[in-house]
Formats: sequence, C-alpha cells, structure tokens
Amino acid sequence: MVVALKTRDTTLPGANEHAGSIERLRFACSIGAMQTAAAIPRVIPITHCGPGCADKQHNALSGANGNQGGGWGGGGVAPSSNATQREVIFGGTERLEELIEATLQILEADLFVVVTGCIPDLVGDDVGSVVRGFQSRGAPVVYAETGGFRGNNFTGHEVVTRAIIDQFVDAYDGPREAGLVNLWSLLPYQNTFWRGDLAEIKRLLEGIGLRVNLLFGPDSAGVSEWQAIPRAQFNLVLSPWLGLDTAKHLELKYGQPFLHIPQIPIGAKAAGEVLREIAAFAGISDTAEPFIVEEERKYYLYIEAFSEFYSQYRWGLPARFAIAADAAYALALSKFALRQLGLLPASVVVTDNPPIEYRDTIVAEFRALDHDTTSEVEFLEDSYLIHERIRAADFGHKPPLILGSTWERDLAKEIKGILLEVAFPASYEVVLTRSNVGYRGALTLLEQIYSTTVRRTA
Amino acid sequence: MSGKKPKQIAIYGKGGIGKSTTTSNISAALAEAGYKVMQFGCDPKADSTNTLRGGEYIPSVLDLLAGKRRVDAHEAIFLGFKGIYCVEAGGPAPGVGCAGRGIITAVELLKQQQIFEELDIDIVIYDVLGDVVCGGFAVPIREGIAEHVFTVSSADFMAIFAANNLFRGIEKYSNSGGALLGGIIANSMNTPFHQQIIDDFAERTKTQIVQYVPRSLTVTQAELSGRTTIEAAPNSAQAEVYRVLARRIAEHTESKVPVALNPEQLREWSSGWANQLVEIERAAERERVPA
Repeated sequence: MVVALKTRDTTLPGANEHAGSIERLRFACSIGAMQTAAAIPRVIPITHCGPGCADKQHNALSGANGNQGGGWGGGGVAPSSNATQREVIFGGTERLEELIEATLQILEADLFVVVTGCIPDLVGDDVGSVVRGFQSRGAPVVYAETGGFRGNNFTGHEVVTRAIIDQFVDAYDGPREAGLVNLWSLLPYQNTFWRGDLAEIKRLLEGIGLRVNLLFGPDSAGVSEWQAIPRAQFNLVLSPWLGLDTAKHLELKYGQPFLHIPQIPIGAKAAGEVLREIAAFAGISDTAEPFIVEEERKYYLYIEAFSEFYSQYRWGLPARFAIAADAAYALALSKFALRQLGLLPASVVVTDNPPIEYRDTIVAEFRALDHDTTSEVEFLEDSYLIHERIRAADFGHKPPLILGSTWERDLAKEIKGILLEVAFPASYEVVLTRSNVGYRGALTLLEQIYSTTVRRTA
Repeated sequence: MSGKKPKQIAIYGKGGIGKSTTTSNISAALAEAGYKVMQFGCDPKADSTNTLRGGEYIPSVLDLLAGKRRVDAHEAIFLGFKGIYCVEAGGPAPGVGCAGRGIITAVELLKQQQIFEELDIDIVIYDVLGDVVCGGFAVPIREGIAEHVFTVSSADFMAIFAANNLFRGIEKYSNSGGALLGGIIANSMNTPFHQQIIDDFAERTKTQIVQYVPRSLTVTQAELSGRTTIEAAPNSAQAEVYRVLARRIAEHTESKVPVALNPEQLREWSSGWANQLVEIERAAERERVPA
C-alpha cells in the first residue's frame, strides 16, 4: 500500500504548524500492525525488522495503552529476525527464511503473518519470494510490508488485512450466505477497548439477526472466520475511514457489496439508528425491531435511575467537552456526548492522520453532529498543538470534560478538568473487557465520566 | 604514528568510463615517484585494484565483516605494485541489500582504526562508482574523508551527465565541510571535438581539465595482462600521460565548488553540441565527396 508522501514546509518549526516534528505520539508505526495479526485468535506475527522495532510497538500499543498485554501470539511471543548491519548490506532474506523455518518447527499457530520493518523495506528484501516458498509447501504463512516509513499502524492494519485476504483466504465464486456479515471497525490494540467494543458490536448484530465474522478478539473464532469472508452477504464498515479500502477491495475481488456507516453507535439513540440502517441493508428489518425495542427498554431504565443524579448533583457537572482521539472514537463519542448527555463540543481533534481523500467525509460528519448542532474538527498529530487547542477552548463556567489520553493528564490538572482516558495511550487504565459502545458500553462510559467527576470532590 | 594527515582524494565517474584504469595508473605513478599510496575501491564489484595485483581479486572489507564478528582493518589491506596498499570495500550481490550502506561501513571501519595514520600513508585514493545514487556513494566526499574530488569523464553525454550529478553532490556537501572539486580527467580523447566538448563543459561548470588522456591500445594490452600501463609499458607515451596526471594530482592543493548545470541547462547545452556535431559530420562528408 502506498500512501501520499507528506508535504514538508520549508519554513522553520514554530513558524508554521506543519513543520514535521511531532511530540507525544498518538499512534504507533506501521509495523505496530503486528498486533493486528496478534488480535486474531491463534495467529502469530513474525517480525522481520531491526532490534527494538517490534518491542517498542507492542509495548506502546498493548502495555502503555490499557495494559492490555501482548496477547496469545503477539508482544514477546512474536519471533523476530533482529536484523542488523549484515542484513542491511547483504539483504536479509536468508535470515528471514531461517527464522520462518525455525518458527514453523517451534511454534504452533493457525496462521503466521510476516510483518516487515524499515530495514528490509528500505534495502528491498524480496520478502514475497521467501514467503511464497513456504506457501508452496502448504505452510500457513503470509507477508505484509509494513516498514515504519510507509505510515502509521492504521496503514499497517490495512496492509496486514489485505495480505491475509489475498494470500490466505481462498478464491471463491460460490453462493453468499444471507445474514452473514464481515465487520471492519475499530483498530485492535490501538483502541484500548477493542475487545469489549467488538464483543458488544457482535452482540448487537447477532441481536438483530445477523451472523458475524468478527475477525478479531476473544469473541472471534479466528482464521475460520477469515476463510469465511468471501461467503458473507456483505461487508460492514463501521468507522469513518478505516476498513473502507478493505471493503472496496473485497467488492472488486468477490463482488461483495459493502455498507459504510461512519458512526460507531454509542447509546440507544445511535444504536437504534445504526442497527435499523444495517437491518434495512441486510433485508432483516422485521427481526431487528424487537431486539432494538427490548434493548431500549432496559437502557432507558438505567438512564432513568441516572437522571436523578444528573439533575440533582450540585457540585459542578461538565457542560462542554474537548476530545482528541482517532476519527472513529472522536466521532462516536462526540455524538454520544452531545445527543445523549447534552454536552457541547468545545474542541474536536482527530489524531489518526486519516488519508486526505476521506477527510471531507469526516468533516461533514462533524458538521452534522446533530440536527441543530455542528462542530468543526481539526486533524492534528502533534500533542503540543492539540493541547494549545484545548487550552484555548471555551468550556463555559463548568469544569472542562476532556475525552483524551494519558498525554492530557498534566493539562487536565492545569485547567482543572475531568479527564477520561479513552484514546491511545491510556496508560492509567487496566482494560480487559470494558466497552464504551452499543447499549451496555454507553452505560459504562456514562459511569466512568460521572464517577471521575464526583471523585474530584473526594 | 607520525600524526601526518594523508592527502585524500576521491575519483568518481560513470561506470565503464575507465575510472579504475585511470585510478590504478595514478596510484602506480605515485608509488613509482616514491609516495606511500592506498587505493580504496568503493564499488560492490570489488575490482578496482585488480591491475595493481596482477589481475588478482582480494577479499573485500565487507567479505571479512560478514565472515567474523571483529575485523582488524589490516586483514583487508593487501600489497600491490610497488607497495601500494590495496583495499576493496565490496558489497552485496547485485539486486540485494544496500551497497551504499556497505561503502559507508567499509570507510568507517578504516577510519575508526586509524589505519592511514598508522601506515603513514601520503595519499589515499578512493575509486568510487560514479552515479551518486544515494548517500552511501557520497560518503567519500562528505566531511572528514576526501578533500579533493576528480571526475573521469569522456566527451560522451551520459558520462558528462554523471559528472554533472557529481557536481551537484559536491555543491550540496560543500556547505558542510565536504570535499571540493579538483577537476576533470578527460578520458578517451581521440578527436579535437571530443576535447572541445569537455573543455566547454569544464568552462560552463567553472572547473578545469587536469589532464587529457587519449584512448590507447597500450592500456588495453596492459589491462589484459592484469597490469597497469605504468607497470606493463613504463616507457610508453601513455605511461607518461598518467605520470603527468599523477604529478598534477599530487601537487594539487586548491579545489573549488563547481557550478553544476540544472537539468534544463544541461539539456540545452547537449542539444547545442548535438547540432554542432551534425555540422562537423556534414563538413567532413563534403570534403570526402568533392563536387
């Protein structure tokens, strides 16, 4: 995958906002997608890169971010070629061959995904020819070129996904199974709550009568779901942009239609809208309705109980919020905060550097945040600039609510704000199954926001 | 160690232009004149010093580095004609790895082990693959390595393009203490117009011609016997051409920043010469066929 080269202004840093250097990163590099492979049950990434590449990426993504752990096959389990000067000068294909051979003897997995770092990609290692050698022997190995300079881990995720589809999933021209859907949504590990969120999304989709190839996480069946991708009735892209390229690719490859809904549903209002749209697309509106009605009944009973606290708490509840998160969470959480809690957006920053061609859609989504409220959105990767925006935002006379990351800890103290770590890196969270989406996740999110608020006075 | 700083020069030029032949003859002539010389081949082919050692290949620095964990730079130095120290950087097989990084590593190793000082070398000559395609091949002209660069070029336009590219590299590094240009070694000068073309290019880029080296069968014969012209035909006119060249290089002290032509200027310049060459051809034709 080739993404457009970044433009670099010629003026000195400080004179403009796009001088190139960024501080306090909000994503990993492309080979961070080793954790995309690791997010699939019984899949192990093989990292062909320099010493430290794999370790740094997984530590950032799964250690400093929700203390998620590297997973069954990722993190410290993943074998590495540990490429050095020798592999730079003479090329590293022999070393890789040896590594794959040894891996196949020692480790057991349903699929191995070779991900490459900057060294092999820069010197032009023909990784494909090495991996094809193993594939022709019937070994379950694929390769994805994920050198760090190619982009961030969102880019890497799409590359790994494409690699598995093109190299592992068989060609298929048989019938499609009505009611089976492939889900392309949150980025595993980058999104701290991906396990719980995907599980909740699966619950909703099954609730309305679909069967789901969830593809990632404990609630996925693993590679058998990947092999079933071509049989699905359609692809569901539940995110502003991530997964769209994959869905377009599957449309070309298998003639499979896709439905794109930029908003990951949080709360009953969004969930109802999104589920009805999906049900209509899938042609199952009848079976969907009872589920939605039942979920809403329960959801609003909880909200009813909460409303007493909400209307009577007298020591300062936030009225406006700032958010700095990847496009998916920024949009989903902004909609929830505005439409279900009545909080107004004071500053909205999207941090995952979405491809230029998708930015207009994202801007349009924020301009139509609700029928009577719009919000501007900025695309920034540099935390210095993001903090400048939050400092300058108008939070009215109520405590600011910051939906951000660990990087906002000091800032939150400075402006006496309420910080919820919902974006990478969320270092002061231990996250297992917690979710922020759907019906149940929304209630948990609500608990988190207001527990953090009342604790201020403890 | 004497503490003397050796004179370090780099010779660049398009592949196949006669760079190694010229460099080896310069080294041979310098050694003959009593200088302690090292010739450092910076090309993955590792054949720069062949004619200094009777046509024999030597193990390269990178061959040695690949074979063992720690390499003593002495192991990569082999004696050639009249005690010339021969070194080959070496590199990966064609099509794999990064040859540029190989050159950087080999040069770094010798620098790190202070070999030039230890061997009390007077002149180090780097023979570098001519198209400065990446940072690795520019390493000899970067700060702290060679002080003077010479380029071997024929009047062939592709050779001149390569020389002009090199000039762009020198311009770039000149601001940060890199090597400056000593001049052009004009090779394969057979006709007056070859000389006119290269003279014109030198004038346009504000540099000089260090020596005109004619194409000669003596050189080919010497090469085929695995020797330099200095060694195989010491009394030939061609050997004398190389001796003069070597003397000029040894005595050369002041290098300059060339003024490289931009791609458009270079195109205009070459098409101007193409028209002139057609005219020369037509004139020759008219002479052969009298009306």
